[in-house]
Amino acid sequence: MKEQDKIYSSRSQRTGKFIKTGAKVGANYLKHFSKKLVTGESNEQELQEQNAEDIYNALSNLKGSALKVAQMLSMDQGLLPQAYTDKFAQAQYSAPPLSYPLVVKTFQQYFKASPLDIFDEFSRQSLAAASIGQVHRAKKGELDLAVKIQYPGVANSISSDLKMVRPVVGAMFNISQAEMSHYLGEVEGRLMEETDYNLELERGMKICEACADIDGLVFPKYYPELSAERILTMDWLEGLHLDQFLKTNPDQETRNRIGQIIWDFYDFQIHNLREVHADPHPGNFLFREDGSVGVIDFGCVKILPEDFYHRYFQIMRPAISEEKDEFLNLLFELEFLLKSDSPEEVDHFSDIYAEILSLLGKPFFSDEFDFADKSYFQKIYALSDIYQNDKMVKKAKAARGPKDSIYLNRTYFGLYNMLHMLEAKIETRSAVDKLFLEEDPIT
Amino acid sequence: MEKQDLKGKIIAHYQEYLLLNGENPASVYAFCKELEIDEAQFYEYFSDFDQIAAQFWSHLFESNLARLSETEEWSDFSSREKFLSFYFSFFENLKSHRSYANLILKQVNIAKPKGASELEAFKKQFKNWSKEIIAEGQMKDEIAGRSKFNDLYDDLFWIQCLFLLDFWRKDRSPGFESTDEAIEKSVNLSFDLIEKNALDSAFDFGKFIFQNR
Repeated sequence: MKEQDKIYSSRSQRTGKFIKTGAKVGANYLKHFSKKLVTGESNEQELQEQNAEDIYNALSNLKGSALKVAQMLSMDQGLLPQAYTDKFAQAQYSAPPLSYPLVVKTFQQYFKASPLDIFDEFSRQSLAAASIGQVHRAKKGELDLAVKIQYPGVANSISSDLKMVRPVVGAMFNISQAEMSHYLGEVEGRLMEETDYNLELERGMKICEACADIDGLVFPKYYPELSAERILTMDWLEGLHLDQFLKTNPDQETRNRIGQIIWDFYDFQIHNLREVHADPHPGNFLFREDGSVGVIDFGCVKILPEDFYHRYFQIMRPAISEEKDEFLNLLFELEFLLKSDSPEEVDHFSDIYAEILSLLGKPFFSDEFDFADKSYFQKIYALSDIYQNDKMVKKAKAARGPKDSIYLNRTYFGLYNMLHMLEAKIETRSAVDKLFLEEDPIT
Repeated sequence: MEKQDLKGKIIAHYQEYLLLNGENPASVYAFCKELEIDEAQFYEYFSDFDQIAAQFWSHLFESNLARLSETEEWSDFSSREKFLSFYFSFFENLKSHRSYANLILKQVNIAKPKGASELEAFKKQFKNWSKEIIAEGQMKDEIAGRSKFNDLYDDLFWIQCLFLLDFWRKDRSPGFESTDEAIEKSVNLSFDLIEKNALDSAFDFGKFIFQNR
């Protein structure tokens, strides 16, 4: 991999990059509509792909929190068409690395020793890029290790990056300012946590230990004595990324089994631990030869508060929208509906949410769900288009939905998406069933 | 008293004095009296206080290079990596003398350091070293040979060094992370410029057209 020649550093430089992208996206639209004018045909898909390409190219040069925001947006349900999602899925693999001397310097800073003093072998080039750091491979005695090193100044730049991202991304993705602020507050909190590798180490160890009994999952061992605020050392896990794995043409049985492992892993975290690895994108999973699944990167963990947890799953109950009063009650409690809403708005929004929820909750409503079902995912995307273009939604000034749901939605969306890519058939009997049977546990 | 000890003692005492008082002692005489040594003994090592400060920088420079050249990887580093490593470890070492270094840097007025005798020796050493690394880089074809411009490179690197010192002096980020970024970015930029790049090809092409018209 070529080392990075330049990092877009100052705010004006980065904003400049964004504006250029905005212009390019504009040009794509122009091309699209003029083509439509001339030929009478239009290819929505092609346009989206071109936009995604340009936006992605701009963002991959930005690195750091801006890249993170792009990833988040790509994952958050209902915000992005398919083309964007595909493109952003690559982001994890391709942020360019920093120089080796800076890596040495980081080690000097925390351990008063260089990597080669600490390890027997240490790769000069980084082997993979995480969005706020890069991964080197090292050997120490018998141990084969992955060493993650964070870029300097990440924590400092998060809030300025997010401020900068706000207006431009808002315009690019057609999200209102109110929705953006609502969204970015929570995102900023999680991102700050992600820059603290001590915290990641602690959470990684905790979740790994708690999930050790789930069959088919493999976690790296973490090494606190070889880690610091900006250095994280863990076992090197062998395995293929999802796209590589799919190229080996695994049979349906294997796909189902592996999908089931991942499903069970999330089910356990959400319902038993109430703490979830909220970053289920393909880059964080390794598919191994022996049929097990490796899970890496516990930077982003969402803790689910008790109240929120119950309401969130109560509202996912099958046919909840038919229990009119209860349903509206929950919508108000979760702030999907606001006290200031007019009766018309209440009607309109509750209809929309009933539709969204019955669709998103569908996998929970039966014993088994086939995630290969393309039509299901098309319905989700179509729904998000309807939602985005809805006149009343556009007019509404306030953001809706609980803050805590942002990361849980993202988790489910990432999970669905991965299972869809795997084309897995999953037994979705889950701990949530018990919740559905509970009689209104919170009042 | 052993000779080396005395030199070290003078340096240490001067540093302490400067840190506590924020300015030079009133005279060499006063300084020596406090230290209970003869003025003559002072002049054996230094001609005035500036020389002590100068000693500080060149000592830092030398010990830094000595330490770096001992590391396993040093000899197979590219020129770019050598400059990066140099700065990273230089500023890391400087950290433990930050108050003292800042006092000197403030006096020197780093933006226009002409005639700053404190930095003179350091400047000479640094420029010589830069020349060596640049020559090495040109031999390995990492840096473009551009006849007359070549002689300017070491001056440019010295200016960069001063810029970084000034940046570090004003840096308020935790762990001076911003200085790390400044080093990474500025060294990368300068090497992108002096490596063979579009400029050289453009010049070469222009020359070709001119000769073959």
